[in-house]
Amino acid sequence: MAKILDGLKYTEEHEWISLDGNVATIGISDFAQSSLGDIVFVELPEEGEEIESGASFGVVESIKSVSDLYTPVTGKVVERNNTVIDTPENLNEDAFGSWLIKVELSDVTQLDDLMDSESYKAYCEANA
Amino acid sequence: MTQKTSLFEEHEALGAKMVDFAGWLMPIQYKNLKEEVKAIRESVGVFDVSHMGEFFIKGPEAIKFADYVVTNDISGAENLKAIYSPLCREDGTIIDDLIVYKLAEDELMICVNAANIKKDFDWLKSKVSSFDCELTDRSSDFSLLALQGPQSFEILKKLSLGFEPSDMAYYSIERSEDTLVARTGYTGEDGFEIFASHDRIKKIWKEMMDLGVAPCGLGSRDVLRLEVCYPLYGHELNDEVTPLDSGLKWTVKLAKNDFIGKASLSDYTPKYQLIKLTLDKGIPRDGYSVENTAGNQIGEITSGTMSVVLNKGIALARVKKELYNPEAEIIVDIRGRKYPAELNKKPFVTGGHK
Repeated sequence: MAKILDGLKYTEEHEWISLDGNVATIGISDFAQSSLGDIVFVELPEEGEEIESGASFGVVESIKSVSDLYTPVTGKVVERNNTVIDTPENLNEDAFGSWLIKVELSDVTQLDDLMDSESYKAYCEANA
Repeated sequence: MTQKTSLFEEHEALGAKMVDFAGWLMPIQYKNLKEEVKAIRESVGVFDVSHMGEFFIKGPEAIKFADYVVTNDISGAENLKAIYSPLCREDGTIIDDLIVYKLAEDELMICVNAANIKKDFDWLKSKVSSFDCELTDRSSDFSLLALQGPQSFEILKKLSLGFEPSDMAYYSIERSEDTLVARTGYTGEDGFEIFASHDRIKKIWKEMMDLGVAPCGLGSRDVLRLEVCYPLYGHELNDEVTPLDSGLKWTVKLAKNDFIGKASLSDYTPKYQLIKLTLDKGIPRDGYSVENTAGNQIGEITSGTMSVVLNKGIALARVKKELYNPEAEIIVDIRGRKYPAELNKKPFVTGGHK
């Protein structure tokens, strides 16, 4: 069973989001890394880029597949995790400890519609 | 309707991820794709490739017929040898690539790609009537395992094949009444392909698992074949290109008697060529644009992946000969970003086959 952390928000595309003030940290869930298998490449936006809710902001690739990363929020990328670009396998080892980008939100209520850990758990079970 | 091989339950029990491939529910990977690739390069693994098709041609003109429909030389090969060949139309375009197993002077088996079974059989059937031989599709009678890796022969000797296999030469065949073993494969490593009844294959599979042979899925098989630059139908080969566009000139024997495609291929000037690329950053994938430094497209990636052995992006690309300059820098467009590629003269990985 994939690990699910309490206190985070989750998307249907298996990203997790945590909020600190008006800065959202985004990563992929343990369920996502497990379905992808060995992650060998990560592509992320540059700091300063504007990203838009619902759009692809990067990709994670396993040996055989390319998967888009979708942002559930609109805002400006203030930081990206270059460590995970250099060592993508970190995502397999600790998906929740390997955040991808930090986004400054114009509107923090954007997160209200996302799943909490309980609903995400039910969602994963339904989609397993 | 999706078909299942005789080993479907075994794959499920091993926790394989199953995917639809050419109408068959096949294992794409078991536990870990990298480990599967390593098992075959370093020790031994096995693929269930029972979805592939088996045709038999029997009769006095079996070999004559085979020589007429395929481009490689069948009559010139010894009995109990396997011969790789494209199957072409009159205009030289490729219907499929296949292996012909020369069983006797009057009997051949042909193993074809699962996705092309009907297309190939219909084509061959439309050509066979003027030859004194019979063509049958016996795909549903056989299961097929590909045992691959440097320790393959050690394992092969311990299996219930119904006969004692010898240390046969590469592309040789040994057989009993109902079981055929050929020293062939699609990984570049030493190995054997075993055609047998569903019951015997189930037994052999269990023996292999007990002997510690790694079960491997179609995902690792694709990485392995691409590392050694073997073409795959639907990628490097298709209905629109000829063997001469695809690095298969060695399989077109223009000196032999008349065969389908001979006239066209005799005076054909290739439009395309396949090139081998490695990328230090980024992973090339099928369909990505291959460009020159001016940003003009010269071709596209036909197969791309991350190489497990090299730990970097590798690809085969089909480029237009008139636009391709082997001396110039090559760029791959990956989702709008331009990545420089390095041209490789030789396959990315050298397999250890005999």
